[in-house]
Amino acid sequence: MSRIVRTTVEIEGRMSDELALVDGKDLPGWTGETTIVGARTPRVDGAQRVTGRARYTHDLQLPGMLHARFLRSPHARARVDRVDASRALTAPGVRAVLHRFNAPKAAFRGEETIFRAEVRFVGDEVAAVCADTAEAADAALRLIEVDYEVLPHVVDLEDAIAEGAPRLEEKGNVSVSGSHSRGDAKRALEQAAIVVDRTYRTSTQLHNSLETHGAVAHWDGERLTVWESTQHVFGVRQGLQAALALPYSKLRVICDYMGGGFGSKGGIGKYTIVAALFARMTGAPVRCVLTREEENLAAGNRSATLQRVRVGWKRGRISGLEHLSWSNSGQGRWVADPTGPTNTLYDVKDLSTKSYRVVTNAGALSAFRAPGYLEGTFALECALDELADRAGVDPLELRRKHHARTDGVMKVRYTQKRLLECYDIGAEAIGWSKRKPGGTRGSTPQRRRGMGMASQIWFGGGGPPAYATVHLNPDGTAVVRSGTQEIGTGTRTILAQICAEELGVRVGDVRVEIGDTDAPYGPISAGSLTAASVGPAVRLAAADAREQLLGAASGLMEVRKTELRVEGGKIVSKGARKPIKEIFDELQNYTVIGKGSRHPNPAKVSLNTFGAHFVLLEVDTGTGEIFIEKIVAVHDIGRIVNPMTAASQVEGGVIQALGFALTEERVLDRRSGRVLNADLEEYKVPTVRDVPPIVVRFTDVPDTKANNLGVKGLGEPPIIPTAAAIANAIANATGARVRTTPMTPRRVLAALAERER
Amino acid sequence: MRPFSLARPRSLGDALRLLGPDTTAMAGGTDLLGLMKAGVAEPERIVDLTQVEDLQGWQRERGKGVRIGALTPLAELESSEELRRVLPILPASLADAATPQLRAMGTVGGNLLQRNRCWYYRDDAFECWLKGGSRCFAREGEHQYHAVVGARECIIASPSDLAPALIALDATVELRSARAARELGVQELFVVPHGSQRREHSIRPGEVIVSVRVPEAALARAGAFAKQMDRKAWSFALVSVAASARLKGGVARDLRIVLGGVAPVPWRAGAAEAFLEGRALDEAACARAGALALEGAEPLPQNAYKVPLAGELVRRTLLSLAQ
Repeated sequence: MSRIVRTTVEIEGRMSDELALVDGKDLPGWTGETTIVGARTPRVDGAQRVTGRARYTHDLQLPGMLHARFLRSPHARARVDRVDASRALTAPGVRAVLHRFNAPKAAFRGEETIFRAEVRFVGDEVAAVCADTAEAADAALRLIEVDYEVLPHVVDLEDAIAEGAPRLEEKGNVSVSGSHSRGDAKRALEQAAIVVDRTYRTSTQLHNSLETHGAVAHWDGERLTVWESTQHVFGVRQGLQAALALPYSKLRVICDYMGGGFGSKGGIGKYTIVAALFARMTGAPVRCVLTREEENLAAGNRSATLQRVRVGWKRGRISGLEHLSWSNSGQGRWVADPTGPTNTLYDVKDLSTKSYRVVTNAGALSAFRAPGYLEGTFALECALDELADRAGVDPLELRRKHHARTDGVMKVRYTQKRLLECYDIGAEAIGWSKRKPGGTRGSTPQRRRGMGMASQIWFGGGGPPAYATVHLNPDGTAVVRSGTQEIGTGTRTILAQICAEELGVRVGDVRVEIGDTDAPYGPISAGSLTAASVGPAVRLAAADAREQLLGAASGLMEVRKTELRVEGGKIVSKGARKPIKEIFDELQNYTVIGKGSRHPNPAKVSLNTFGAHFVLLEVDTGTGEIFIEKIVAVHDIGRIVNPMTAASQVEGGVIQALGFALTEERVLDRRSGRVLNADLEEYKVPTVRDVPPIVVRFTDVPDTKANNLGVKGLGEPPIIPTAAAIANAIANATGARVRTTPMTPRRVLAALAERER
Repeated sequence: MRPFSLARPRSLGDALRLLGPDTTAMAGGTDLLGLMKAGVAEPERIVDLTQVEDLQGWQRERGKGVRIGALTPLAELESSEELRRVLPILPASLADAATPQLRAMGTVGGNLLQRNRCWYYRDDAFECWLKGGSRCFAREGEHQYHAVVGARECIIASPSDLAPALIALDATVELRSARAARELGVQELFVVPHGSQRREHSIRPGEVIVSVRVPEAALARAGAFAKQMDRKAWSFALVSVAASARLKGGVARDLRIVLGGVAPVPWRAGAAEAFLEGRALDEAACARAGALALEGAEPLPQNAYKVPLAGELVRRTLLSLAQ
């Protein structure tokens, strides 16, 4: 029986009340020891990946496939007055050209067309060419004549805030995007004995997924099939429906393997629409994938921020906390709010935060692994260390002392919060007791050694809607189907484990079929919600299949159902073990299909993940180079389904955070608005040599109130506290405070020079 | 990338006959292909030198030092145990050059002739002074990686790690064209872009580097190399330093201190060399030499950090030379 329930849905910190359609009753959590869930399990698709058999969107080669490429604006802001594609259309191999004067209407992110009359950043789409080869399409781009009326522009965050900046939107360039206050922060700060008042800056980080954004579209006259490198096949389907006005029955979206998704692949892109439009126009499959340069101009980014934190100290406690933040949203319409962690991470009575969106002529932001939280945690956790330093208290003690037992915004308890335990585990593993104020001597005369830490709060509770089916094959193997997708995190593996555990079969006997909208709905693989959203639905589907199987077995074996169980692929009763296959031999082609849906989260509680990172490093005070010796990452995410994939998530998050902290920065030329380092040579992601030993630990206690698995997500948590912990360790080692990311030798040297003044 | 014709001669004679004013020589291609993809280089005819015999490998020649074929891959020099004994500074300078893959493809000659890394130069949308325009966009724009000393109209920073090491060893390059052969000091291969000279190298159209020669006398010199990057691998130098000297009784003579990443060409720190001549390389002397290394520097707002960084790197390199 399906029924409607009202539930609060959270995706990446944004809450909304929604209705959910759920089936039957939820299961209680596993009470005893699980044997498959919790066991170190190699990835079920590992062999496919390392042997090169895994097929990514980029690998797809369809017979007669054509290629689409974009002409992009060379100007940061301009009116497109005329587009003449006549020469391009006569070039060899060219099939079609689309631009603002001939493209059909296609809704995209609140606009009616994908080719704007006013282009608003370098890289904005002006026209698209479809040709027999990518090279022919590229060559034809140069033949398109465009008349631009160049308009005043501004690309830099602080330039856009300043007086006299070109006004990009009617209401101005700066608008409030969110605020929160409790108590009286202003008064508390006035009365504080110590006030730390500091400004922090974070730079624009680019996703740089190995597989760039892209789609292949095939229109067979009846149905449009789109293969896309996406975190949300159903989101792409919805976007295509809106853009092309096709019914869902004619749309299918597939994402089999995927080369990285960190938030920017949450829905369709203009490349999807262009591929689909050209496919319909030409009757041939069309591939439209971005180049690395395009990826770094027009496929999203983590906003640069300017943040001011004021935090007071009185009688051994924080007295007032104020956090103001400005984010460079580029042409994006929202803000990845950096003040989220400030609102909830600590028990602070008098608090005030405000976040502003700043519009500029740069590419739109998109979600990027813990959007806002990484940036905000950097400012907050640095400021707290600066306060601890001034107050003469141990920074970890300060955090322990302000441990928040309840959610300060929602005013409710957490389902589970084991952050204090994370502190204990991390402090032990890094050797925090050896930390000295002012740091210690390093391994050479110029080097100083220090330790730092920072905490993290994130969401990750997941929720409905999410559905799965489990289909039992006559040989006792099973197929899990769900419209979720594997974006590299281990989803296939953990869903196979959950199904195997509940159904009573081996992991190797479960195949997980995901990444296809012909399956029941699965949510976006973002917000650290997949395990906690899809996992419980898979468990219910497996339980449903098992109950049906046992019902059949009970009749055939003439044993009461309650005396039967499934174990290792066999029906077990007192004194008898019968392989599932033998039951089906008698049933022939009757099919067992179990159904499962994610039930709502508990009401009036907050579901969050918590953690802390600890860093031990040395700073070369002569060159500004940072040598990280060890990073300890400890997280409370409830039950660990697979210690191997979980550790790999944490390592990946820490490495991506190392880039944010130390090397990665999009460099924009202010005069032209061009990205100067839109390649992997000058945009510096960490190399193997940049990665120190990473020690991963979990509290690993099921959050029994959260869902039927007791799990929460892990995608985002490990990227959040690393940069702040590094900055705090640098300050501990040297007394110099680097308040801008990335903390390059140039900035470390500047901070060291400032310390000496 | 524009279409181009490709010739792959097997002999040096054929290569030299094919090379002319409107052809481009290509060795490993690791730099040229990037420039072509960026639309900055658009050669119509490329002569691929990698099939040419006799330009590979290095030999020690009795009494005549070391001769290195221009097409010797950087990886071969970097990984050579023997070279590490004979000329340790050379493998040291290559240890952090680019990546293992790039060192496998990149050659000695190509490394010396690689173009600068200025992001305005490498973006075909900017018609900068070096490309025939009238402005240097970096000076007014983003220049954290650019030159702090010795620059004129154009503030590119010399990118090669190998060049400072070779200059510190008094190395020369042997140049050949269809009509002539000549020998140049490695330092003379580089020119500061200035006035009518909108280029980085003094090599003439039709010429190729055939070999690099390190004189016998240099083999007796002590050498040291250091490179500072802003990532632990695969980065051009913020600053690099190669130093060599004759050391006798703790006293240094005949010093060479050459910096990469600070000037449009590999930069000889003349004042520091002069100061140290005949002195013991102790802490104080090395620190003083470091302070003198970039005398006359005119840093810009974003690259001022390179001046103290270069000083510190020079100081350390000299101290390690003494050890």
